[in-house]
Amino acid sequence: MDMEQFRSMLLDSVGVGLAVVDHDGFGVLLHNAMFGEWFPDIVAGDSTFADVLPKFDAELVTQKIAEGETWKCEVEVKPKRRAISLAVEFVPAAGAGHGEIMVQCQNISKIKELEYMIESYSKMIERQNRDLKKEKERVEKLLLNIMPQQVYEEWKEFGVTTPQRFDSASVLMLDFVGFTQMAVSQEPTKLISELNDIFTSFDRIVEQFGCERLKTIGDAYVAVSGLPEQNPDHARNIARVALRFVRYLHRRNENSEFEWKCRVGINTGAVIGSVVGVQKYVYDIFGPGVNLAARIEAVCEPMEILVGQGTYDEIQNEFRLSDFGEHEIRGFGPQQLYRLDGDFTPANDSI
Amino acid sequence: MSRSLFDKYGGFASVSKVVSAFYDKAVDSDIIGPYFDDIDMRAQVDHQTKFISSLMGGPASYSDEALQKVHSGLHIDRTSFEEMVKLLHETLEEFAFERADIEQIMHEINSRADIVITRHDS
Repeated sequence: MDMEQFRSMLLDSVGVGLAVVDHDGFGVLLHNAMFGEWFPDIVAGDSTFADVLPKFDAELVTQKIAEGETWKCEVEVKPKRRAISLAVEFVPAAGAGHGEIMVQCQNISKIKELEYMIESYSKMIERQNRDLKKEKERVEKLLLNIMPQQVYEEWKEFGVTTPQRFDSASVLMLDFVGFTQMAVSQEPTKLISELNDIFTSFDRIVEQFGCERLKTIGDAYVAVSGLPEQNPDHARNIARVALRFVRYLHRRNENSEFEWKCRVGINTGAVIGSVVGVQKYVYDIFGPGVNLAARIEAVCEPMEILVGQGTYDEIQNEFRLSDFGEHEIRGFGPQQLYRLDGDFTPANDSI
Repeated sequence: MSRSLFDKYGGFASVSKVVSAFYDKAVDSDIIGPYFDDIDMRAQVDHQTKFISSLMGGPASYSDEALQKVHSGLHIDRTSFEEMVKLLHETLEEFAFERADIEQIMHEINSRADIVITRHDS
């Protein structure tokens, strides 16, 4: 084999389509096998570049070539079933005597395919990220049902939470008189459904006044104010919540087949708040202040709110309270208790 | 921890090469070539890459429902399906997939035959 044969073989075996066209009319003078395969109509003279290439402008191409520059475009051809993407470039033919132009065609199908795939996958990832984000928000919401936001943040950042002492907080305990009897004698599903309704409304009221609902145990409802963020108005807030609860129940009883009679006990004092549990979490509060609230509630009359001395001291100027007398409270000795009758704002919180 | 076939053979990059080679055969086949006239090949290769990847334990997944919807208008018969299976098998061999792994992939494909074949020659 000599150089000539080698060159010829090379030309026809490369994966690039090559053609030499004349500068005047762009007729094909020479071409290799690949070019012939991709542009058979142009080689045969049945089509011109203007027919086949998008945006082909003979004048523009001629001008660029004259300036020693190249002109490029992309096109899709379909010699067989599968379409091929080509990058076509018009280049001044080196050493050409009469200003001939070299046309080079590169198969960029693979690149185009990959571009498409990258686009497709990045969309897929974006979609999955959005789904993940939604899921994360859902999980966060669930966790925030169990513990206050601040505690959740602490848990998220450190993986653990530490019990925190709050010097001054107010605890509200509510339950319903005769609930057990109601549960036994009435249809339980309806009863529980109503209880659920009531507690949901309570939750709204609690939120409205910037307090936290801690938990419900059967028919008992525990709320707190002044934690996890310190708040000087905690006693006031809890008092308003209590008054609203009672007002709500009065109204509800007008239209309900059940008569809901609550008892509310409020105490103000030091409290410790903590997440309890390892696998199953609950955020709970501890301390004598908490127990006292429960015991105050126990001596309460139906549809009344009882508060301890600590609470009284905080709210006496803004709320109407009456002396309920001194009571012996197990574990605390004699305690002065007060009945919360309403506040001083007319037509608002009075029962 | 066992690696998925997807990880073992090099992820999307490899699978897309396999799929591309498979389609070269597919369009040249007299039996199933006609299905690919006037089709957006890029989208086709993309979908198939995702599908085969999912069969190999990679990300993305196609529910049986989705598969059925996509193929329902094509009236694919068993002969065409088997031709596709044959060509895919050849391609996997050419890419030096291990025999056992090829069998696993083919098994996944064959288990979905009834979803894809919608034309039955009596």
